[in-house]
Amino acid sequence: MFAEENKWTTKHISELEMIYVIDNPNQGMWHAFQLMDPEDDAHSVELTQFKEQFKSHLSELIRHVSVKIKKHTDEAVWIRIAWGDSYSRPNHLKPTYVVHYLQTPYVFVTSLTSKQKPLLSQALVLSTRHHAIKDANLSGKKFTAIRDLLMRQYQQAFPTKYPSPLKEKNQTVSNPLIEREQAGPAANRLQMACEAFGDGMLPQLQSAVYKLETKFRDQTNKTMTEREESFRCVVKFASTNLLESLRDCASSGIASTPVTPLLSSIPLKGRNYFVITDNSPGPSSQMHQKTDG
Amino acid sequence: MEGASTRGVLSHLSLLEVQARSRKTQPQQRSRVKELKAEAEALMIQRDKLKAEIQTHERLQKLRMSMDKQCPREQEEEEEMDEDSEDSQLLRLMARHTHLKDLLHAHHLIGGYDIIKTHQGKGVCVSVATSYEGVCLDTYNLEIDLKPKLRISRHNVPPFIPLNSLAEQSNMQTNIRAFLDTLSRHLNAFAGRKQQLKLLKEQHKSVEVMESNVLCSILVLMLTVPREKTAVLCTLDYTDHTRCLPTRVHFDCEDKELPDSPEWKKNCHLLMETPVHTALLTMKKMGNIV
Repeated sequence: MFAEENKWTTKHISELEMIYVIDNPNQGMWHAFQLMDPEDDAHSVELTQFKEQFKSHLSELIRHVSVKIKKHTDEAVWIRIAWGDSYSRPNHLKPTYVVHYLQTPYVFVTSLTSKQKPLLSQALVLSTRHHAIKDANLSGKKFTAIRDLLMRQYQQAFPTKYPSPLKEKNQTVSNPLIEREQAGPAANRLQMACEAFGDGMLPQLQSAVYKLETKFRDQTNKTMTEREESFRCVVKFASTNLLESLRDCASSGIASTPVTPLLSSIPLKGRNYFVITDNSPGPSSQMHQKTDG
Repeated sequence: MEGASTRGVLSHLSLLEVQARSRKTQPQQRSRVKELKAEAEALMIQRDKLKAEIQTHERLQKLRMSMDKQCPREQEEEEEMDEDSEDSQLLRLMARHTHLKDLLHAHHLIGGYDIIKTHQGKGVCVSVATSYEGVCLDTYNLEIDLKPKLRISRHNVPPFIPLNSLAEQSNMQTNIRAFLDTLSRHLNAFAGRKQQLKLLKEQHKSVEVMESNVLCSILVLMLTVPREKTAVLCTLDYTDHTRCLPTRVHFDCEDKELPDSPEWKKNCHLLMETPVHTALLTMKKMGNIV
């Protein structure tokens, strides 16, 4: 009613909505994709070219579609897509949002149905001059978190000849003798934890899922161990700031250091969905290890 | 008292006490002489060790001097040593080791890259420093596994720098130095372009940045000509990602004659040859732009 009174058109509303989403991106569920096999001219694709190509390819694939493209100050290209079909006009109530940084292989998408996915994929691949696009196995509610993780926009720690002094923590020293004894090992654990997950503020990833397709292994339970097929189970880690929690686990000694690749793969590979099978190298060998308390 | 109490803890303790007292009454001088003799022996052993170290060091110095002289030549001639023994081979290896360490240190001093060993020698970590116009900028790191073949396991190089294709093209497996040199050039050039954009935005508020990208390989600026207030769209293409200067400068203006004017031809030349923020400063001084 308000919109009708003020003679606001769909155009104005969708414009406002887009501005709102760009300013408040940490809503809904975002999924990351990775473009593969770039052409030789992929790294020189510039904005105007991308905009034209994307719009034209998408309109070729689907008759009624409304596309809006905006460039943000941090060089991100935001795309708002309202989908229609051969019979109906674009539905502005359920738009898909896509974010892409030119000259990087990453694309972030929210509110995309399985029917719309192949159309979007095709348009993206053609307009960015790549050959394929695949799921990056990284998703989360906070767009900024998954973006910072993939674009490596957070402070990482590396072994260095000139180590910087560890940041002072305001700790209440319960027993100075224990502190002194533990100083060495504690510093070691902190260094390894930071190398695995990062220094300072970490991208606010909120979950990680491990789908296990491995055989059951427990000496005390013969029945289960003797089964041929894999024991399927899903392990989910959830936290307000998963990476920080994991880093604290490692630096406090709750999780053993050096950090297991199962956990350090999250920031290293930039993904939070893993399928662990018996044949996969690394992670499967970790299944036998017990974590020291 | 007899029985258990004679073998009790307290009686054992008093036995030990008696033993300790009897030991104290022994002549002190005997132990003192023993102590001094032992000290003298230890000092002699230390002296011999230090003498050997000095000798090794002197021979090493000689070897290093002859090595440094031979440095420019690809092949090192076999230095004739007094004894062609295992010792001399070891010394040669040690000399080579110190030579490489000095090279790495020199490299670090000139702002090149640092390499340190990690994981008990199973890997290395390379740190590439970047700078532009004397200002130190970001440092990028790569952790490389050495076996079974060279593999980059972890890094903080941004995704728009094609790390993997650079590694392939410069044959990282056989020529890591070429790879690191190329990477250093790409990263330093990127850091330089990024810094120029930052300075441009800070120093030239009257110039509007119409387009840029994360790689800083394209820059489109809106310039204003004084008096007539004509707008000139200036496009800078940095297609060579190893350079801080553009490969192409193009002007678009409503006044079709403007780009061909001698002033603007000079401006074009200026933007091709000097960093964008200093070029704009000159253009302002010459009164070409607002």
